[in-house]
Amino acid sequence: MSGFPFLTLVVFAPLLGTLALLMFPKARVESIRWAAAIFSAVPLVLTLVMWVLWGRTPAGAFGMKFAESFSWIPSLGISYSLGTDGISFPLVVLTALMTFVAVVAGWKMIATKERAFFALLLLLETGMMGVFLSLDYILFYVFWEIVLVPMYFLIGIWGGPRREYAALKFFIYTLVGSVIMLIGILALYFLSGTGTFNIMEIAQAAGSIPVAAGRWIFVALFLGFAVKVPVFPFHTWLPDAHVEAPTPISVVLAAVLLKMGTYGFFRVSYPTLPGAAKYFAVAIAALGLINIIYGALTAMAQKDLKKLVAYSSISHMGFVLLGLAAGTQLALSGALFMNISHGLISGMLFLLVGAVYDRTHTRDIAKLSGVYVTLPVIATILAFSLFANLGLPGLAGFVAEFFVLAGTFPVSVLWVALAALGMLVVAGFNLWVMQRVLMGEAKKEYAGLPDATRLEIFTYAPVVALIIALGVAPGLLMRFLNGPALELVQRLGGM
Amino acid sequence: MDWSLVLPELIVAGAGIGVLLLDLFLAPEKRRLTGYASLAGLAAAMVASLWLAVAKVDWSLAAGADGSPVAAGFTALGGMIAVDAFSVLLKLLFLAIGLVVVLLGVDFAEKRKLPVGEFFALLLFAVLGMMLMAGSRDLILIYLGLETTAISSYALAGLLKDDLKSGEAALKYFLTGALASALILFGMALVFGGTGSTNVTALLGAGVTTGQLGGAGNPIALTGLVLLVAGFGFKLAAVPFHFWAPDAYEGAPTPVTAFFSVGPKAAAFAVVLRIFGPVLALGGSAGGAGAGGLAGAGVLGVLFAVLAVVTMTVGNLTALAQKNIKRMLAYSSIAHAGYLLVGLAVATPRGFAAMVYYLLAYAAMNLGAFAVVIWLNNRGTGDEVSDYAGLGRRAPVAALAMLVCFLSLIGIPPMAGFFGKFYLFAAAVEANMAWLAVVMVINSAISVGYYYGVVRQMYLAGDAAPAEDHGGAETGAPVPAEATSTVKGTPLVGLALGLAVVAVFALGFLFEPLARLARLAAGGL
Repeated sequence: MSGFPFLTLVVFAPLLGTLALLMFPKARVESIRWAAAIFSAVPLVLTLVMWVLWGRTPAGAFGMKFAESFSWIPSLGISYSLGTDGISFPLVVLTALMTFVAVVAGWKMIATKERAFFALLLLLETGMMGVFLSLDYILFYVFWEIVLVPMYFLIGIWGGPRREYAALKFFIYTLVGSVIMLIGILALYFLSGTGTFNIMEIAQAAGSIPVAAGRWIFVALFLGFAVKVPVFPFHTWLPDAHVEAPTPISVVLAAVLLKMGTYGFFRVSYPTLPGAAKYFAVAIAALGLINIIYGALTAMAQKDLKKLVAYSSISHMGFVLLGLAAGTQLALSGALFMNISHGLISGMLFLLVGAVYDRTHTRDIAKLSGVYVTLPVIATILAFSLFANLGLPGLAGFVAEFFVLAGTFPVSVLWVALAALGMLVVAGFNLWVMQRVLMGEAKKEYAGLPDATRLEIFTYAPVVALIIALGVAPGLLMRFLNGPALELVQRLGGM
Repeated sequence: MDWSLVLPELIVAGAGIGVLLLDLFLAPEKRRLTGYASLAGLAAAMVASLWLAVAKVDWSLAAGADGSPVAAGFTALGGMIAVDAFSVLLKLLFLAIGLVVVLLGVDFAEKRKLPVGEFFALLLFAVLGMMLMAGSRDLILIYLGLETTAISSYALAGLLKDDLKSGEAALKYFLTGALASALILFGMALVFGGTGSTNVTALLGAGVTTGQLGGAGNPIALTGLVLLVAGFGFKLAAVPFHFWAPDAYEGAPTPVTAFFSVGPKAAAFAVVLRIFGPVLALGGSAGGAGAGGLAGAGVLGVLFAVLAVVTMTVGNLTALAQKNIKRMLAYSSIAHAGYLLVGLAVATPRGFAAMVYYLLAYAAMNLGAFAVVIWLNNRGTGDEVSDYAGLGRRAPVAALAMLVCFLSLIGIPPMAGFFGKFYLFAAAVEANMAWLAVVMVINSAISVGYYYGVVRQMYLAGDAAPAEDHGGAETGAPVPAEATSTVKGTPLVGLALGLAVVAVFALGFLFEPLARLARLAAGGL
């Protein structure tokens, strides 16, 4: 509680950046780029400092660290409450890192309306940080909705040919989902009888909610989160949005935005309504398995490299659902781990696909071959990322999948078998795309293209390093996840 | 009789007459002075209202019948004049609306050669009528206020004398308005016959809530109330009584359209809250619809719920098809009337308070949107949605303001519109009417379609607009001759726009105190 308002700064430093950027003259592109990088570096530095201080910081109420709380609308029990624990903190670091990477990647990739682009990207970061750090439902909802607006414009203005369609689809899907979620939140507020919108307090008091009503509320919240994850059959906005979005935005979308949905499950649905969560466990496992297998099979059928990565995201998010459905400590830790590893790996893949596209001006898998020869450095890093994506042991993706499957095994062997089937397909499309794109004869028209620039290497390096580090030493991340996972298991009734 | 209780009304009436007289003695090119005189009159009336609020309304939060705090007020002339939290708050809102509309109208009137003095005088009289409507508990005075507003409005709609559409607007508005007045008058007569009093509080003890249509209880008064629902349905532009609204909105001079979309509508809601609020709340607490058949207030509650659903759905779906921005905003305002009706269907103190708050928020965001339309109109941009292509580049400030207002109308936080919807949602969920909230959600999603049609034009569409369409000042592009000839700049519209946008944010951030005010106001109905 005491002292430095880390979290407020983390949330609002990017917003200050947005306002500051609007003061710059449009034409001073170079200063705008630097200012954007600096303002997005502020939350990154702050989160790293928090990481260092983490062990020494005592946890306050509900195990929250660095908590801040001010009354906002006392008559309804709404407050400005921020706090972070093992569930949210890794996501906050991920958000800070990937936004910074996206900003730097945007230096060269965005060549029109730079000022507006970076201003919106920073506004987006404020929204994402706010979602992960809010401990009050209304504050949470406010940030949740704030994310929509910059994302709409970022896709709609700087996107590909079908950008308007993709942007509007994204907006309407998530708006409907989130407003249904709001009704669920209101029902929680009135039925729990706590007179507060504090997420943690309602979770404590939610036992008094009638079982049937609890299930309805769970469904309402699920719809809001499922659209963001996205869970089949609410996923159709994602391939459109990913493919049309400019590269830096695809990175943020895959790395962070999807995690808002899974974060919602961990922060809200499961701790608050464990009974309903158990009641729907089989349904959620089924949806998770559909995500894994359907996503992988669809990815395999894609001709567009970016679309392939997008469907691969759907497949990986299925593991998070499966881990939640299994509800054991291992599975839950694995699901939380997957949030981070997928964020790093998919972000990396989108960066590289963007780098290839910038040079060759195509994402058509059939038109690319022999990239190893033409662009050796980019191709090597792309191969590394694809291996990480298929779950190569020693890299971050493997740890997550292993934990989820190991944790699911005691619950249902069938689920594990089906998920393993999906993993085979995942491995298949990753290897196949490597064969088609990286190997083979070098295309003559792509000869002599410039390889990775120093700026690009600078953006790849931290992400690659983390993918390796988390794969070799999962404990780095696990020390945050174990506690919350255990607590969640206890709430779920020690399955 | 303490005349100070009606000081704001007296000031506005005096200002209206003063403006008419002033207009006679001014040379034509100096007539914009009448606009400034109107501003002064409205501002003085606001000060007087604030003084009343401080001096005459007891804010000491005595607990009301249901335990909710009530700010006691004064009534005079046997309930004809009610000075309570509700009336003071709404009068301030009406005066603020009037102020903003005058700001919007000064340059417009000059450019489009409206009869300036008549314009502002009629506007002041319309505001006066609205204040009487909100400030009375007596059906007679409510009706007089209603007619004062209505007759001024008919004339306002037809002010563009050379424009056929403006004439059509006035005629349609007049014909449907006359029908509505007849319905209201007939309804009031029946209520008087059934209760023996013209005071709305008499309804509470008259057995309306236990009565059934054509059965026991008080069927005459109940029939009267149903007629009033229909009559006020026209005034609120609730579906199916809405057909006049799009034509009247499209044809009327744009500042007048802005006024119609918030002013008379808010006043009609104030009256509906006054007449029906307590009755509905009584029915709600007595388990209205439960007791076999649809008894008394149950009928009314169902009626309002149906009206709310139909109004918001038809309004939003029809708005999707509009290509003219004034027509689109007309249907949008129908949809918002539907959202507001949810508060009446819910019929709890929280529901009524949510309505009061929503009226404030809606006034700010809708006036903001109209301010942009007028600002552009004064610079020669047309009223078709396609005229807004590339606006984000040509006039970034106006486009951004429009975006803020539209996001608020959709209900995106942290703007006021979100808190308004949130409050209504909360009231509906609390009263076990979550289905109404779900209908609102679906409607909010539909509304994205047409608001974003404009946003898309402003930011995403290429600059396909013809050259004469250029907004000019920001980009230094050539300004069309027509736009420069009479109006150099429109700082007053800019001021109004600024006020509206600030209000859209401020109402959101000040939700706590405003919601408290709204609760006090609704508690004293």
